[in-house]
Amino acid sequence: MSILIDDKTRVIVQGITGKIGSTQTRWMLEYNTTVVGGVTPGKGGTTVEGLPVFDSVEEAVKETGANASVFFVPAQFVLDAFYETVDAGIKLIVVVPEHVPVHDVMKMRAYALEKKVLAIGPTTPGILVPGKGKMGIMPGSLFSPGRVGIISRSGTLSYEFAAILSEKQIGQSTVLGIGADPVVLANLPDILKLFEDDNGTDAVIMVGEVGGMQEENAAEFIGRGMSKPIASYIAGRFSPEGKRMGHAGAIVRGSTGTVEGKCEALNASGAEILKSPVEVLDWAARHDLR
Amino acid sequence: MRLYEYEGIDVFESVGIPVPRRGVAETPEDALRVAGEIGYPVVVKAQVLLGGRGLAGGIKTAATPEELEEISGRLLNSEIKGLPVRKLMVCEKADISSELYMGITVDGFSGKPVIVVSTEGGVHIEEIARTSPDKILSFSIDLRFGFHPYQARMLLKQLGLSERLLIICADVLVRLYEVFSQFDALIAEVNPLVVLGNGGLMAVDSVLEIDDSSLSRINYQLPQPQERIENQLERKGREIGVTYVDLDGDIGIISSGAGLGMATMDIIGQRLQPANFLETGGAITEELLYKCMDLVMAKVGVRAILINIYGGINPIHEGARGVVQYMNDHNVKLPIVAKALGNRQEETWEILRSGGVHVVTDAPTEIAVDRLIELLGEREPPK
Repeated sequence: MSILIDDKTRVIVQGITGKIGSTQTRWMLEYNTTVVGGVTPGKGGTTVEGLPVFDSVEEAVKETGANASVFFVPAQFVLDAFYETVDAGIKLIVVVPEHVPVHDVMKMRAYALEKKVLAIGPTTPGILVPGKGKMGIMPGSLFSPGRVGIISRSGTLSYEFAAILSEKQIGQSTVLGIGADPVVLANLPDILKLFEDDNGTDAVIMVGEVGGMQEENAAEFIGRGMSKPIASYIAGRFSPEGKRMGHAGAIVRGSTGTVEGKCEALNASGAEILKSPVEVLDWAARHDLR
Repeated sequence: MRLYEYEGIDVFESVGIPVPRRGVAETPEDALRVAGEIGYPVVVKAQVLLGGRGLAGGIKTAATPEELEEISGRLLNSEIKGLPVRKLMVCEKADISSELYMGITVDGFSGKPVIVVSTEGGVHIEEIARTSPDKILSFSIDLRFGFHPYQARMLLKQLGLSERLLIICADVLVRLYEVFSQFDALIAEVNPLVVLGNGGLMAVDSVLEIDDSSLSRINYQLPQPQERIENQLERKGREIGVTYVDLDGDIGIISSGAGLGMATMDIIGQRLQPANFLETGGAITEELLYKCMDLVMAKVGVRAILINIYGGINPIHEGARGVVQYMNDHNVKLPIVAKALGNRQEETWEILRSGGVHVVTDAPTEIAVDRLIELLGEREPPK
């Protein structure tokens, strides 16, 4: 088993006719993902990678039975596309693009919660279930099937952990990036809950970073609702305070959001703190993960 | 993008929030001219983009032209917490009866705007938040519903305001929300909002940070964001579309993704000193990595470079060509270690090796750092 992507997942790609959208569609298909079509307003009736392109999400759902969508839509159009997708009845949305305005994300988040849609991102590499499929841009070669879940605020750092584990034949059940923005559509505890409930996941690695309150809230959830072993690495120990490290989410504000504060909260909740990524191998050995 | 105080006050004025009479000065002569129009005494405020300026000596009162000349001359030649003071705001001195705090920010975890108000405005607001949290009220907003005057009145009444003060403060708070909303702000704050001796209000300070992702859609003349960046290398990074942060060490870093970049810095930082943080963003191209090499090499004293990238959006062999092209064009001889994994990685390694880059094919960044230290011929200092 896995979380979010399974045999019933039928994916459409929004922004499928763009350079990134079409390339990523090919790579998702090569990874055996069930991609059933795409949407680009004004390009309905054409095809990309042999898949039908529709003008609207509603048409795509009607014609293909799609139940999940991955976005490669330009940032300024994401809010509109998101409302459209939710209204078309899609229940799983992955928003890959970066630079989506924070105020738009707040509106999207409120709408997704109201309509009970699970949405991931923005600025996320997406979701990958090794050997089964992926929604997003994760490079498939780094992952291998197994029973360790990975959840990360940073995209490339999730690749690093998966690659370290895969080299030692420790596979992953699902790898997911929640997105690096100051506001994201699903928070760390929302995804931890899915891993906790998944019978294909034995243990979870949670990768965080300096800034914001995601890890503090995750710690609260872990203490209350997580029975599986969890290891956590928090990046940004050497980041100069108050300096922007690529996204606003990584600004240290006051005394909250520091690496030390996060590690302390996570440690108290029962998570094991990794001081450096490679220590994940010792943790996996201690818990007999493979 | 954070606005200067004087720019934020202009914005406040544009939505009808009461603000002081004021002017901007880049020389003592400017300051004297502004004060001549306003009348003495005046308050002189150094314009720097950081908090805690008042406690650091950046705000002074001048009662006479002589005093003003001396104060403005001194402030304009000074630095506050390492930032040079280039401009001053000279403004009328408010007749302060009491001070309030009003701020609106984004709560990342709930994903909602949060309004924070307090009757204890002023420079110690953060301390009050810690020591007397009961003097601070906060209110979470449904962005699609907006924020309405009745909500402002209810909130401020809880704070103990009444009669005319309640009504005029609620009006300012609603207008502040208008700024927050129209400017796609991450923070919009007035501290303090002064209650004047005559019963009126005056916003004597502004903090306004606008979401960089929204700059192009805001219907207001805004400065170019790269003009705000003091550090030349950091500004150049912004221009080529990467995040570059200048640090004190001598090991250059090029990484894809902020999290991986921070982790790389953490791992290097245990044993060596990073010269910079550089994060390419998702779309790595040949041209981009060429420019990244140029940027990292531009820092004086860099003696080795660690490249740590994953190919997600683009295959990484294109980026590898950019690195090698730069090395050939500029005859680069210093040790460069690269860990590059993802789409078309074998081809990437071949290209990098052909240019003399030391390629590490294992996944852990720690191994790449070990290799770098080995190449530098240094023994590991005791931890």
